[in-house]
Amino acid sequence: MTQKTNQPTLWQKIQRQWKNNPLFSTALVLVLMIILQTLALGFEFETFGAWFSHWSRNWINILRNNATVGIVALGMCFVIISGGIDLAVGSTLVAVGATLMFFVNSYPTGILTAAGITGVPAFAIGIVLCIAMGCALGGISGFLIAKQKLPAFIATLGMMKICRSVTQQIMQTAAVKVPAEFLKIANTKIGGQVILPIIYWLILAVILHIISKKTPFGRQVYAIGSNERTARLSGINVEKVKALVYVLSGFLVSISAIIQVARIGSMDYANAGSGYEMDAIAAVVVGGTSMSGGKGSVVGTVLGMLIIAVMNNLLNLMGVPPFLREAFKGFIVVVAVLLQKKESNS
Amino acid sequence: MNLKMQGIVKSFGANDVLKKVDFTLNEGEICALLGENGAGKSTLMNILGGVLPADQGQILLDGKAVTFLNPAQSLNAGIAFIHQELNLINDLPVYENMFIGRELKKKSGFLDHAAMYGKTKELFEKMGLEIDPGAMVSTLDASFKQIVEISRALMMNASIIIMDEPTTSLTDPEIERVFDMLRMLKQQKVGVVFISHKLREVMEICDRYTVLRDGVMVADGYVKDTSIPEIARHMVGHEVTSERNQRNAALGEEVLRLENLTQEPAFRDVSLKVRAGEILGVTGLLGDGRSELFRTVFGAEGKYSGQIFLQGKPVVITSTRQALGLGIGYLPRNRKENGIIKDMNILENGSIVTLPRMTKFGLIKAKEQIAEFHRQRKNLLIKMENDTDSITSLSGGNQQKVVLAKWLSANPKLLILDNPTQGVDVGAKEEIYQIIQQLAEQGVAVVVLCSEAQEIIRLCDRALVMYHGSVRAEVSGEAMNEHEMMRLATGG
Repeated sequence: MTQKTNQPTLWQKIQRQWKNNPLFSTALVLVLMIILQTLALGFEFETFGAWFSHWSRNWINILRNNATVGIVALGMCFVIISGGIDLAVGSTLVAVGATLMFFVNSYPTGILTAAGITGVPAFAIGIVLCIAMGCALGGISGFLIAKQKLPAFIATLGMMKICRSVTQQIMQTAAVKVPAEFLKIANTKIGGQVILPIIYWLILAVILHIISKKTPFGRQVYAIGSNERTARLSGINVEKVKALVYVLSGFLVSISAIIQVARIGSMDYANAGSGYEMDAIAAVVVGGTSMSGGKGSVVGTVLGMLIIAVMNNLLNLMGVPPFLREAFKGFIVVVAVLLQKKESNS
Repeated sequence: MNLKMQGIVKSFGANDVLKKVDFTLNEGEICALLGENGAGKSTLMNILGGVLPADQGQILLDGKAVTFLNPAQSLNAGIAFIHQELNLINDLPVYENMFIGRELKKKSGFLDHAAMYGKTKELFEKMGLEIDPGAMVSTLDASFKQIVEISRALMMNASIIIMDEPTTSLTDPEIERVFDMLRMLKQQKVGVVFISHKLREVMEICDRYTVLRDGVMVADGYVKDTSIPEIARHMVGHEVTSERNQRNAALGEEVLRLENLTQEPAFRDVSLKVRAGEILGVTGLLGDGRSELFRTVFGAEGKYSGQIFLQGKPVVITSTRQALGLGIGYLPRNRKENGIIKDMNILENGSIVTLPRMTKFGLIKAKEQIAEFHRQRKNLLIKMENDTDSITSLSGGNQQKVVLAKWLSANPKLLILDNPTQGVDVGAKEEIYQIIQQLAEQGVAVVVLCSEAQEIIRLCDRALVMYHGSVRAEVSGEAMNEHEMMRLATGG
């Protein structure tokens, strides 16, 4: 037994944080990465102002490029905390993106355009239906998992295959054009920068953080992930909460799809969103969420996403060949989980 | 091989589980390790089995000090630990199970099935066992599985075998079979540590006994020099006086009535009534169906036939959430698996049931949540430091009180308590009894499920004894005594 009555030294405080606060090590790694990245960016600038504008532009790029996966990861975080997994996010993104484009299509053949509905009303309808579609697809996974007791891996693997394949079949002949005004949703400049996707990500992260910490639903997700039996015997409607988690994931995927469509004005049905499931899972895991459920946080997931993003940027700055970057991603996932294991053992 | 454990000390956090315990086992001897739940038996044996390290003390094998850092080292030293949940792989044949982890291989690196089969057969023949080495483990009954585990220990040249409650899930003829095996072990100079609650079995099979109470060895000696009441006295610490529930229950309206409730194969044709302010005990032995019965009432078991009436109105209960809404509270047995959520802190464990009722704009009102929990904490005398400490940092009794707290804050009209004092120390037990009686006085209808007669007598106004899924009889007053209840519970 160490003496606990004494005023703890700074080092002891850090040790205690390291041991007790799972976010501490994640944040520490991120800070380390940012320092390295800042060093790699170099200081060969005339003025501090010039350096800062270069540095911040780099950061805006990082954040914007990762906003859509980041949003998907927020939903994945809930899914994993509940003890499940959602492999369908990438394909769902394509399916709901296609739904969105189908309705906002500005060609005369577009269903709403033909009916004389254009502009904001058409966008609103498109967005609402896109979100409804996302929730519904998530709901199907949720139903299969919660009610039919399929393993989450299997149910969402099935959904993953179905969503992308059906979307590709349906959309192969569709002539779709996203109207220019729609692009404003993601591309309107604020302070001279395209930062709307980042803002959406941030707002959603804050909302989901509050949901996870401050609502019965959020706490019940943790309870189910940690001990489903106890949760059920505590009067929690386990099936409903579980299903809702996948609906929430579907919802966030549709937001991500809207941003993606609005950002580039098109969607490659074969490749868009592919690998999102693994990137999102990686972010969640690096952020300290346990794959067996019950433990983790939204804040950790955002930090995890940032760690992966900054690392990518760092590799880029250091000139590491693109093929090797995935290897580093794999490396950091493994190291992050190893570190977390160490924490729980100590 | 002679075993001596000396001055073993072990604590988990602030909880001292073993306080300088000595334990001896001589060659070819069966020694009973006795004690109430939480006395430290399992911890002591886990230390011997290399599962846990001791804080202090030493282990001597034939006079030589040894340390076990993991179960493998202990096994190599000849100590085999047979846990209550058997460690066999059901879908492999017996002979492969005998060599799990130490498979015999041919030079080519492939498994040498013939050699493993042959060696198993040889051993079984030597022991006079009629088990087909090629049989799937899943086809064996519980006693033969037990015997296979013992044989496996022998195959590994174990000279000390620890058996943790080996007879709990066995029928009488099966128990006899395992005992025959133990007698055979004795002849082969194998020492056995026999952990059990069943004193009659101890008297039958054991040579020596050691009694632990609250982490201290309070008695040891030869079984032939003692008697069941004497051992029981050592276990409990004071003469087992059947302290009787003395309260004058002021009974109110009927709260729960069951009519011919049936869910095959667990229970059938159960009819009972509980009134407000009453404490009804339901007792029986393993497999009597009482837990399944009341889990069904709580909506956690699915479909049933028969009828449930709550406050006179017929209800069909299909989910736990519905049961909660109807004013039923349920404290499950096996706290670790069913009662606590280990990743959540004390406060959250104590308020998970009532969270949905404490919200404003969908957000949890933290102040109200904390205030309510602290009200329960005071009421239940929960000993703890911070709300945000892990639930697992508490002692068993305090964990149980936190689980109770989550139900009390829901203000149930009917509270079902399944084994409420499981793994709870004696002092906290008494506190829990008083809390339960207070609840009844406040007009809650309480049902206590328990297999310990003492607890039923101490706590309940009357009791139902169940046997193989049906209610055998109701007892109250003088008839509610240990002998009578045991007679009924065994089908007598």
